[in-house]
Amino acid sequence: MGGKDLTIEICGMSGDGTIAAGQLLNAALVNAGYSLLAFDSYPAEIRGFGRCVTHSRVGSGKMIALKNKAHVLISLDDQESVSRIPFLDTDAVVLFDNKPMAFLAENQSIAAHVEPEAKLIGVPFGDLSAGATGSRQGRNLVALGAFAGLFGVLPEFFNKAIEKKFSSKGKPVVDSNLACFQVGYQHVLEFYKEDISGDLGEASVHENKDSFLISGNEAIAMGALDANVHFYFGYPITPATPVMEILAEKLPKRGGKVMQMEDEIASIGAVIGSFFAGKRAMTATSGPGFALMTELIAHATVTETPAVIVNAQRGGPGTGLPTKTEQSDLQVAVYGGPGDSARIVWAPTDVQECYEFTLRSFQIAEKYQTPVILLTDFFLHNRVESLEKLSSAAEMISDGNLYPAEEKINAYKRYEITETGISPRALPGSEGFIFSATGLEHTEKGRPDYSSAIHMQMSEKRHRKIRGALSDLPPPVEYAPKGQLDLGIIAWGSTFGAALEAVTQEQEQGKRIGALKITSIFPFHEEVISAFMTKCREVLIPELNFEGQLANLIGHLHGKKVKRLNQVTGTPLTPWDIGEAIHSILKVLD
Amino acid sequence: MDERHFVVIGNGPGGSQAALTLRRESPESRITVISKERGGFYPPHRIPELISGVISEEDLFVFSPGSFKERNIKLRSGQEVVDLDLRNQQVILEHKEKIPFDGLIIAVGGKPRIPEYLAVFSDLLMTLKTLQNAKDWVAKLSSAQKVLIVGGDLTSLAFSKILLSMQKQVYFLLSEEAFWPIRCTPALFEEVSLALARKGIHVLTPSQIRSLSVLPDKSIELRTDHDTVCADIIGAFFGLVPDIRFTARSGLKIDRGILVDEYLFTGFQGVYAAGDCAQIYHPQIQDYWVSIGHDNAVALGRIAAMNLLGSRVMANVSKESIFEVQDIKVNTSWWTEF
Repeated sequence: MGGKDLTIEICGMSGDGTIAAGQLLNAALVNAGYSLLAFDSYPAEIRGFGRCVTHSRVGSGKMIALKNKAHVLISLDDQESVSRIPFLDTDAVVLFDNKPMAFLAENQSIAAHVEPEAKLIGVPFGDLSAGATGSRQGRNLVALGAFAGLFGVLPEFFNKAIEKKFSSKGKPVVDSNLACFQVGYQHVLEFYKEDISGDLGEASVHENKDSFLISGNEAIAMGALDANVHFYFGYPITPATPVMEILAEKLPKRGGKVMQMEDEIASIGAVIGSFFAGKRAMTATSGPGFALMTELIAHATVTETPAVIVNAQRGGPGTGLPTKTEQSDLQVAVYGGPGDSARIVWAPTDVQECYEFTLRSFQIAEKYQTPVILLTDFFLHNRVESLEKLSSAAEMISDGNLYPAEEKINAYKRYEITETGISPRALPGSEGFIFSATGLEHTEKGRPDYSSAIHMQMSEKRHRKIRGALSDLPPPVEYAPKGQLDLGIIAWGSTFGAALEAVTQEQEQGKRIGALKITSIFPFHEEVISAFMTKCREVLIPELNFEGQLANLIGHLHGKKVKRLNQVTGTPLTPWDIGEAIHSILKVLD
Repeated sequence: MDERHFVVIGNGPGGSQAALTLRRESPESRITVISKERGGFYPPHRIPELISGVISEEDLFVFSPGSFKERNIKLRSGQEVVDLDLRNQQVILEHKEKIPFDGLIIAVGGKPRIPEYLAVFSDLLMTLKTLQNAKDWVAKLSSAQKVLIVGGDLTSLAFSKILLSMQKQVYFLLSEEAFWPIRCTPALFEEVSLALARKGIHVLTPSQIRSLSVLPDKSIELRTDHDTVCADIIGAFFGLVPDIRFTARSGLKIDRGILVDEYLFTGFQGVYAAGDCAQIYHPQIQDYWVSIGHDNAVALGRIAAMNLLGSRVMANVSKESIFEVQDIKVNTSWWTEF
């Protein structure tokens, strides 16, 4: 990746305004025209204690992954920030409050822990905030001002972000935040002249002037809105809750409704009921909630009722790591539930795809009359990216239902065996198209029938239908030079960006290496994947799970064992992590 | 297991030598070096070579921060000591962190000396002591043609040669204070003037500087009682003064530096001073002397460390090598360099 490329972390304790500072930083840098990818991590507890960290990668080119090392650390709480030191570049810039309220014992300051090559920038965050506003609460804004001064970000970009964020709280709040920012900015100009790098200065401003910031959560909500969803039923759970919060604000304005249900079982039940009645609906949950939904997902499979479910994966098993990212629900998404309940599972790899896949999930669910699971993760939901536009084409959101022909009136078979496995679907109340739907195995007319012949026939029909959905699902995308490869990386979900960046770096070094992006998890494009594997001496599948769940699903397509990189640290894989694995594999090959 | 914690303030020739000696003689103790300047240790007298491009920044460093780490010496780089609490044996840093110590060596060296009559113009004068100063010179020299050196110390001689090699026009304003702390006798004055002139340096010998002002084209005009000179850069080279403001409330005895006995002991338990910031008692002349120069600083840093660990090594210089200038008794390793 050429051009500027800077990773900035802000670390503090809950209540320090860390996340708010990160949001302002991101907004300001996008205002300044930079491309950005950012992600927050915070404690599982509601408030009061625990470490909050924001990560922002900013630069001139498109940012597709986080880096493993930060170039800048803004410490709003030294005790917490010490934990970030192993993740800093050796010559990182560390901004910290050099005038804490009380004297510190040895090693209580972050200054005691940074590497001597690091550039320590002490700014009296609290004192300057108190001087500007009478309160030390604006420390985070002072820190942002100091950052802007050091790196040459024009104050107008921050001012715009501050005004936007705080305008609803009134002018005094806006003014005090602006004042805190300004004193931090001036302090650096006055006392750190020699350290001003201007790395994010005017020269590159407006490279991406039309871009805007959007999170994975917002993209999913926007996708649902643009697909004309009528109902959202959900039960709060990290990291999916913001989807419900966004829709709660916006959906009623479009004539829809958001209902918080008593649990996830009720949520999926309501989604199925709504689709059964012909109205688009969705729910979003995470692993523990998804586990509760599996019986009704199977019910939707057997009744051939559409449903759209977002599973925002987080660290498991069980309640696990509620505020950490993981990709360990692939198996439950594909196989979870009683019986052979094949369903469609697809996984976006970035925020743009979060929007597009959500948008299209409704149509696909309707067309194939089956649950569509959008398999995302904490990193995708909580990250923000600068994008240039989100657009929906009419053909992506149009009604996906295949209605029965008029001549079938009074002879309608709801579960008619067809070549594609798709039975024309009548909605309840369609005159002359009477049918029954049941979770029991049934005949083409929908009457319960447990005979082995019917069960064989219907099982085959439902699976044929799911296989046929491949034509509507995006095929894997290959990023590789022509010809044989020493190593192929196959990645999915939020890990793909890191894999692609790692592969690109190796390709630039002349390595025969390629990447394959898989978004259709089930059904998957067996032939394309197999063809890619065939031309690779080795195949590596990096995943944020312990068991290698995608590797278990597709690994058999390779002539020999695929290599695995499995990480369950609760943090995203970085290009560096994958690069290390690549190097060790290539070393053996050499 | 030696659980003592030794703190060295300063990472110049004296400080780094003190830390290395402590590590060698006390392998298991904890050692912290605190340095206001960032990075590892470099010999300041080689800075002019960096400016001319003869050596790179990488070549300049004798010990990188990594070298300290390899020796299990904790280097706190870019951190400033603002106070000493010697009764409680604590060093207090600017960011309010208190570092306890069992032994302390103060070896902070000096900072550029600007005579009082020029202090008002200090914003217009460039000095050359630190790596950052060198970077500033490099940046300015890229667009400068005329450089005026005022004052004059031994660094300025080496630096003038380098400026000439960079095709700069060099003006040298020799004054009575030139070559401080070396006595500037009329004979020496004359000799230096001729030597400089032979090298192509314009030598000015006024008795008084009247004014310094910035002209519209950003050049600086200097008026003396004899001449008016315009230069793109004015460098002030008046030697160094001890950089010991942080000791003001410590109880240490201060004159031109931190007063120590012939063993470099300050009188406070476990506290020693070495190098340019120390003013050292000489039993034979029964007075204090100051030491200047890289080699002296290295020797004194070693002695301070040895004595902190219990030796009784005297900072022994022959009284003949000590001379007096401006009421200060001086020993300098610069003589040989000169």
